[in-house]
Amino acid sequence: MNRRQWIYQSAFGLSSAALGQLLAAENAKRGPHHPPKADACIFLGMLGGVSQIDTFDPKPKLAELNGKIMDWSKEKKTDQPNLFAKPRKFVASPFQFQKYGRCGREVSELLPHTAQCVDDLAIVRSVQSDNGNHPAAVFQMNTGFIIPGNPSMGAWVTYGLGSANKNLPAFVAMPDFRSIPFSGAQQWGSGYLPAEYQGTVLRAAAEPIRDLASPKTLDANHIAAERQALRLLNSAYTESRPDNPDLQARIDSYELAYRMQLEVPRVLSIDAEPDSVKEAYGLNDPITASFGRRCLMARKLVEAGVRFVEIFTPSQSWDAHGDIRKNHEKNARETDKPIAALLKDLKQRGMLNKTLVVYMGEFGRTPDTPADQATPGRDHNTRCQSMWFAGGGVQGGSIVGTTDEIGHKAVENVYHMHDVHATILHLMGLNDMRLTYYFAGRNRRLTDLGGRQIKEILS
Amino acid sequence: MQLATQLRLLLLCAPLAAADTRLLSLLSEHCGACHAGAQAQGGLSFNSVESLQKGGKHGPARDRIVPHLTGEMTPRMPLGAQLPPAVIAEIKAEVAKLPVHSAATDDHWTWLRQLPAKAAAPSVANKQWPRNPIDNFILAKLEKQNLTPAPEAGRRTLLRRLYFGLIGLPPTPEETRSFLNDPDPLAYEKQIDKLLADPRYGERWGRHWLDLVRYAESDGFAIDGERPAAWRYRDYVIRAFNADKPYDLFVQEHIAGDEYRGKKTTTPADRLIAQGFLRFAPWEADANSKKQLRQDFLNDITGTVGSVFLGLTTGCAQCHDHKYDPIKHRDYYRLQAFFAGTAIADPPLPFDAAENPKEMKRQQRFHEDEAEAAQLELDRLRESLKQQYMAMYKVGADDPKTKQFLGKLNTKNLFFLDQDLPLAKEPEWRQPIKTYFDTRDKMQRSQELARRHQALAYTVKDVAPPAAPEVPDTFILAGGDLNAKGEKVEPGFPFENKPAEIPFAGGSNGRRLALAEWIASDQNPFTARVIVNRLWQRHFGEGIVRTPSDFGRNGEPPTHPELLDFLATQLIEKNWSLKAIHKLILTSAAYRQASVHPDQQKYAAADPANRLLWRMNWQRLDAEVLRDSILAVSGRLNPKTGGPPVLFNVPEDVAQGFEFFKWFPSPDDEQRRRSVYQIQRRSVILPMSETFDAPNLSTSCARRQSTIVAPQALTLLNGELTRAEAEHFAQRLAAAADPINEAFWLALSRPPAAHERQAAEPLKNNLASLAAVLFNLNEFLYVE
Repeated sequence: MNRRQWIYQSAFGLSSAALGQLLAAENAKRGPHHPPKADACIFLGMLGGVSQIDTFDPKPKLAELNGKIMDWSKEKKTDQPNLFAKPRKFVASPFQFQKYGRCGREVSELLPHTAQCVDDLAIVRSVQSDNGNHPAAVFQMNTGFIIPGNPSMGAWVTYGLGSANKNLPAFVAMPDFRSIPFSGAQQWGSGYLPAEYQGTVLRAAAEPIRDLASPKTLDANHIAAERQALRLLNSAYTESRPDNPDLQARIDSYELAYRMQLEVPRVLSIDAEPDSVKEAYGLNDPITASFGRRCLMARKLVEAGVRFVEIFTPSQSWDAHGDIRKNHEKNARETDKPIAALLKDLKQRGMLNKTLVVYMGEFGRTPDTPADQATPGRDHNTRCQSMWFAGGGVQGGSIVGTTDEIGHKAVENVYHMHDVHATILHLMGLNDMRLTYYFAGRNRRLTDLGGRQIKEILS
Repeated sequence: MQLATQLRLLLLCAPLAAADTRLLSLLSEHCGACHAGAQAQGGLSFNSVESLQKGGKHGPARDRIVPHLTGEMTPRMPLGAQLPPAVIAEIKAEVAKLPVHSAATDDHWTWLRQLPAKAAAPSVANKQWPRNPIDNFILAKLEKQNLTPAPEAGRRTLLRRLYFGLIGLPPTPEETRSFLNDPDPLAYEKQIDKLLADPRYGERWGRHWLDLVRYAESDGFAIDGERPAAWRYRDYVIRAFNADKPYDLFVQEHIAGDEYRGKKTTTPADRLIAQGFLRFAPWEADANSKKQLRQDFLNDITGTVGSVFLGLTTGCAQCHDHKYDPIKHRDYYRLQAFFAGTAIADPPLPFDAAENPKEMKRQQRFHEDEAEAAQLELDRLRESLKQQYMAMYKVGADDPKTKQFLGKLNTKNLFFLDQDLPLAKEPEWRQPIKTYFDTRDKMQRSQELARRHQALAYTVKDVAPPAAPEVPDTFILAGGDLNAKGEKVEPGFPFENKPAEIPFAGGSNGRRLALAEWIASDQNPFTARVIVNRLWQRHFGEGIVRTPSDFGRNGEPPTHPELLDFLATQLIEKNWSLKAIHKLILTSAAYRQASVHPDQQKYAAADPANRLLWRMNWQRLDAEVLRDSILAVSGRLNPKTGGPPVLFNVPEDVAQGFEFFKWFPSPDDEQRRRSVYQIQRRSVILPMSETFDAPNLSTSCARRQSTIVAPQALTLLNGELTRAEAEHFAQRLAAAADPINEAFWLALSRPPAAHERQAAEPLKNNLASLAAVLFNLNEFLYVE
């Protein structure tokens, strides 16, 4: 069986009798490595980098140190040399923390809705990464590497698992079109993997997938006549050339496209959702509507069998250099309520135990700000960030990782971005060491030389 | 899971030598799921002591087993697990009993390191079939297996194959008819000569080369700044292919054009522009660490030079010795040292006559004038906004608030406008602010266009004492880490222990020249083999080595090594003329075979991948060829060649929302030029190209995927290109006496068969629909 057929079958394909047997063999090789805990993943990308100190990792010590000058002279490597070359002062969190849930986890007042779900979250306070520049860091969050050209995690997962609903793309990305991530489509691209593993962008516009709708100038009779002619001409040609199975695969891909034209709008139609649901996701409030709509679409997509859904805030939205309070209040306001609604909705539908939800940014933020800055902000910090998992295979209410007393650096149970990826793959039934693709001389991986599962948070 | 169990059973059933039973049974229990049987991972099988001793891709396994179990070597085995220490200890004890294995001879590398040998064409039983020596090599192997080649393809098929293969466009009905009616016995050869001389040949083959050199006209990363002079490299490549520039010269210009001291004809412009090759990798312009940025640049060159010219995965030795090929960690940095003195440069460089200097100058002036006018207008608008602001808030020009307001007018991404400039929401400010930003767009667009017409080179230069400081030292970097400097190394060629001799090169340091001359030499065993394999690959869909940028042990071994060597020696004999090799390949009987064999089922069972070439392979049109063909058939392809890139229309989700640049599409007629002229901007890729497997622009692409997915169907059914061009195609047909017949001739180079006419008949009154259907046909997308 050649690779194309396999690819075609796995990503958007139908079973064709001639290929069935071979397909079964190839599938056996490509399926999960172990029984999955989660069949789907919803990844919430908080672009710009959320401050751990102001959300999930309270640092009372900073209240004492607030305004004091920090001595960085011993710090060899900093994420932003030009900022760190000047004197800096500590910044206490402007937000109050409170304990929530049975687990008694502390969450700041920035995220009152997420806080209600804290018993479902497994928080990791010690995730580190390699580069403090946004584009490189966003690449690492999405592809494991700080340089372009590598497949995104959704591409890896679909490559490993294939699709569960052959009428829908297996991997969907929903950026915020006000400001899309750096390098655009490469962030959900397939890198050196075959193109069908790339994420399909769902747009907020009337046409959710590019070129999905037939031209408006054609009436139904016209469309039917075109399809009929295409079927007749293609099948006559193909039947006389049975030596090339790609020809039949192409015919099948058209039938699938026709079905997608019906299926995608049906799945994505949110008009029919009850008002209570719309209200919960914040669709009636212009501030939460954009993120809320995408969260609701994510739930519907996962329900329909989509494997991997990514939702991004606007590029650099959480990048609170200038004013931590104003920036984080704005971004939390846009995302907190929809995220909590998503978690509750998944749970209520009995889907949360088979769906993995991941919340993270490209890095964390510093406990300090340039000393001469009037309004306190926070800069980039690759030494720690707080992120969370929820759902299938995750031990709700658990926590792992400790940062130093100022929230500058992870010091205990330190994990790397690769480990987050290894954990996502593990929960979805894939072993990061075994999920490989041969390219440019060696077997490549999402986690490069391998990650560690974050065992403390697994159920 | 099931597969693994089966393999384990298979393994347990294998006969075991009594003395080694314990070791083999331990290994089978813990490692047998992957390392057993014919499909053993990495080629390493623990079926027998012999297979263990022989080892896999990494060589004999005796001394590797235990380190991989303990984690001293990565990856730790078994993958995703750890064996109990007691088991490891027992395996260790058993391994120690095995005899030390002498290093196996490596036939593959022995062959690869030797210069291509000019073997005599093997004799064959069927004397009728061969048309040139290529066919003897192919047929000899087929005959050995008692196979016969497929019959010759029909003339129409051959013509389409030649057209798509050489110029990337379908023949016109007139061209097809004239060929079909040409009684000359050399009619086919005449077509080859004609197409090789057609300037569109360079556009087609230039694109193949651009794939290899990761050609892009922007930096990538956050800023993704444009490289406004990069297009001169694209045109240089097209010209080089059209002029049949000797490949050795082409290579030398790529690596050390500025230092070139050979005798072949070249121009100063070509010599500098070709070096853009060294700079096409992504470039993080705002990198925090400039040292790391430079190291990334050097790493890219070291890997890309190896894969493009030598077919070697040199990049694998960046962190450690190559795991499969005899490329040492040290060799990687010795290779890198040739570029230690290399710096990026963008010097002024007058346009060559071939680059239309007068028009360039005229365009540059025109756009500069436009930009200047827009700038004046912008200043006026800015002043008026300032006055409006000062009047409203009753503040002076020097007031910090006024200054702050003016600063906000520099906002780049208008998404941030609301938060930066809340005033923009007020009704009396909306229009003036919109006019201001529209004018700014106009100015930026004109500035961009002016920059693209500037006579600059996107190139590199070398530093050399005494004019410049010493060439920086090169150190071996453990794990590729810039902070882990090891031994200092001098420039040296791979596989040679002594330092390279560096020639004198005037104001430059001569290092790149040394490397260029080593690569572009008939004494280099890789260079000629690698390029002839690439030509073969494009014509047959697969190379003789099917991993065209990896000739090492991890790649696929050549299906016909003697043929590869024959072609390589031919290339050198023909003064490195690529066109000569094209002609040799295209006139072979092997190339002229049909894509289907009379005994297809039996043959496909015996050799499913067609490694023996008992028929021609099918090829799907590349993304660019598909788009160009639609435009050619609709009659709207703009044949204009060369010059600054074309910016296509894209949906707003593809090209908006970038912080650092705005997307200004070119005029419509420009957009209908061949795809090779479209801008290759890393963060904005034409969706249709992406859907049809265009390369991702980040790394060298030696072989495109050819996927089949539903979004391709949606693009071709409903996309803007299909529907717009279908209308024009229909207009072309309207005047024809028999539009259906004409439509088939234009799209498929043949008349419709009776059943096809019948199928098309219901669309007779909707010719645009008929046209759209034809663009979607399998026959339209595939070359037989």
